[in-house]
Amino acid sequence: MPPLDPGEYSIAELGPELKDVEDVDELEAILEAEKEGEDRTGAVTLIESRIEKFSEDGEDGDTGDLDPGDMSVADIGNAVRDIEEVEDLEALLEAEEGAEDRDSAKRLIQKRIDDLSESEDDGEEEEVEAESPEERHPELDHPTNDKRHVRAIDDGTYEDMWVYCETQQGDMLDVSREMLGKARELMDQYNEDYGEAEQVVAVLVGDDVEKHTEECIELGADVVVTAEDDRLGRFRHKPYTRIFCDMARWGGDPGEGNPDPAEWRDYDEPRYVLFPATNNGRDLSALVQAELDSGLASDCSGLYIEDAEISNPVKTGEPGTTKTFDRILHMKRPDFSGFEYSTILCIDNPHRDFHPQGGSVIPGSFEVPDPDPDREGEVVEWDGDIDDGWFRVEVTDHDVLDEGVDLTGNEVVVAMGRGIGDNPTKGMELGIELADCFEEADVGVTRGIVTGSYQFDANVEQYTHEERQIGETGQVIAPDLYIAAGISGAVQHKVGMDDSDVIVAINTDPDARIRDFSDYFIEGDLFEVLPGLIDAVESGDVSEALAAVAAPGGGGDD
Amino acid sequence: MEIAVLTKGVPDFREGQVSFDEDGHLERGKTPTVMNPNDKFALRAALQTKVRHGGNVTLCSMGPPGYENILEEGMRDVYADDLVLVSDREFAAADTWATAITLTTALEHMDTEPDVVFAGFKTADGETGHTGPQTCWGLDRPVLTHVISLDIEPENDVVRAKRLVEGDVDEIETVEAPLPCFVVTDPEFEPTYRRAEHRLELKDLREQTKRRAENYDDHLTMWNHEELNLDPDFVGLDGSPTIVSSVDPIPKAPSEREATMVTPDDEEGMEQVLEEMTPFAGGD
Repeated sequence: MPPLDPGEYSIAELGPELKDVEDVDELEAILEAEKEGEDRTGAVTLIESRIEKFSEDGEDGDTGDLDPGDMSVADIGNAVRDIEEVEDLEALLEAEEGAEDRDSAKRLIQKRIDDLSESEDDGEEEEVEAESPEERHPELDHPTNDKRHVRAIDDGTYEDMWVYCETQQGDMLDVSREMLGKARELMDQYNEDYGEAEQVVAVLVGDDVEKHTEECIELGADVVVTAEDDRLGRFRHKPYTRIFCDMARWGGDPGEGNPDPAEWRDYDEPRYVLFPATNNGRDLSALVQAELDSGLASDCSGLYIEDAEISNPVKTGEPGTTKTFDRILHMKRPDFSGFEYSTILCIDNPHRDFHPQGGSVIPGSFEVPDPDPDREGEVVEWDGDIDDGWFRVEVTDHDVLDEGVDLTGNEVVVAMGRGIGDNPTKGMELGIELADCFEEADVGVTRGIVTGSYQFDANVEQYTHEERQIGETGQVIAPDLYIAAGISGAVQHKVGMDDSDVIVAINTDPDARIRDFSDYFIEGDLFEVLPGLIDAVESGDVSEALAAVAAPGGGGDD
Repeated sequence: MEIAVLTKGVPDFREGQVSFDEDGHLERGKTPTVMNPNDKFALRAALQTKVRHGGNVTLCSMGPPGYENILEEGMRDVYADDLVLVSDREFAAADTWATAITLTTALEHMDTEPDVVFAGFKTADGETGHTGPQTCWGLDRPVLTHVISLDIEPENDVVRAKRLVEGDVDEIETVEAPLPCFVVTDPEFEPTYRRAEHRLELKDLREQTKRRAENYDDHLTMWNHEELNLDPDFVGLDGSPTIVSSVDPIPKAPSEREATMVTPDDEEGMEQVLEEMTPFAGGD
């Protein structure tokens, strides 16, 4: 007489019942009973797998020891890769349906069935499965390498463009509006190109943000997801990251495989996410993408979506081939201290999805769109739990900072570039001295000065900080007179000064780019030209300038 | 206090150092590598912590073996007791996330886990500002970013800092976090030494570190992926979500102004320039 009669249990119930039975003989008896009784494939598989587990020299059977009721979705995902028989998989699927009936688990099993059927159909050899890490890297101690930072989902579904709308002092930042406008434009084009109906989703987190939902919709959002709580008044890294990620997964737990879809959406994670490239927005973007195990480009000034031909073997999985990845967000950004533009792509690996594709956007890169009061959209409140343990960093005080240095409004701006390299302190001193000769003037610098590793003496060091940077990522100014000393003229710099009335450049290289957007180009060394200009502007007499220039070199040769 | 500082080598972008090829692309091979300028603020914050509370400063970088020189530069110019270089072909071409996973593991691999980890804001080449926060996420510590001043009370397990918040207006926040934690310094960071004994200690330490830098390799440890037990599929190029699809030189601006060329000894030309300037003269 078996210890339990399998016929009394559904397959789903059978798993848990069997969990306590470890005696092989008892299990054999149960198996016998099942075969004589209903003889359900799923039940037989379940019992057999138990027997195998406790048989002393149990070999690895084809089906492995699978009890879906006993396994996390991730475990099932791993286990099904070793199963070669469609029949066994179908049994497993049935077992899962009878048990917890998790969509994500069923999808994994079904996918394996599809894969196997496909490879049988076309009679070709099955795609080589990725080797296990143990096989690939025998030098490593894998059991201790838990890869806990990696919470990727494999073969998930992704839709929509999400925009994190940062707020400050009860208002949305302009960059949030600019991103919504850009997202609308990108997704309209995307939906046309790919025949989809994907949405722009705005995200608002704070203690009083629901008042912005209307504006988000008017500016282009189809859905606004909000999290409002008294504790969220000021940005904090941990709770904001946790909340955004929980919204992105909508309650799904990456440890348990792909998240379940929510009522208002039918995908695992967003396809694209955008954040503002502000101090807090950029931090949040980095943390969110780390938690979601994906990639991002920071400080982007250009965005477009199109297919990408990729031959990088890490991405294609096969050296020497080119593969088309569709719907890739191309993120263009200035880097190398403003010397080059890079285009960054975030692309899935063969067995590890890198979604959402993320980026942060430089404020001012895109236009604030005109609000459309007739636009309609849906507001969804996130209702997850906020853990007090997320608030270990406390904000005890905050003050509005006196505006740093505002270079706008000056009649004259003297800007210094990398031409000061021979003697950085002296170069800055000359610039400051020249600015002092004018009624309303100040000193600015290029990005190269801010990010370069120059050693400045204390008296000029304060003039070399980012607050005086002119250009795309600094201040945009239009004085009556702009004097550019030792500046070669990168495009990002041009953006910051091009509207000046008169531009005078001083540079040793007559082919420097700045020549193309200067009114006067003094071909000479700033260390010689500036002292002359200082004397001449002070005295109003040009001969002084010429004398000063002639003096240091001991007179010209020509 | 056990203190760790993260740094990176970057091309020296100063005029005369940086080199470009004919197409306008940066020539890394011909451009010297220096310690990322922003990381010196992190190292200064570490030195301030050491002066005030004692302890050990470990300067850590990930990069090719040649990055020894970057670590030596940090030791010589600011301060370090020990140097760690995480170096392996498998780590090459990592983006921020693959770098962060590697650095997280390296920090956990240290004999004593640091009470405070310092990192700088943005590198001069990649300029993402992501690696610090992402490394912290891996360590699951409280993170303080954009820090411009710092006070630690080890006896109360409290780190107090001021940080810069950008937006349509700029703000300064005062924040408090428990130890251990992770601090990303802003380029505006200023160390302070209010007490005379601290200023003396600072002077002593600066002299010591210069001497130690002469034999920096006595204090250098190198780790590869095996020592860190890192699966190559999850670090370096293989573990990086992002790729750089193209790098374009900044396009040459279309000519919109016709510059009058003047040499400094051309009286007539200089006269013209001065005529543009003198209307704004004054000040004295």
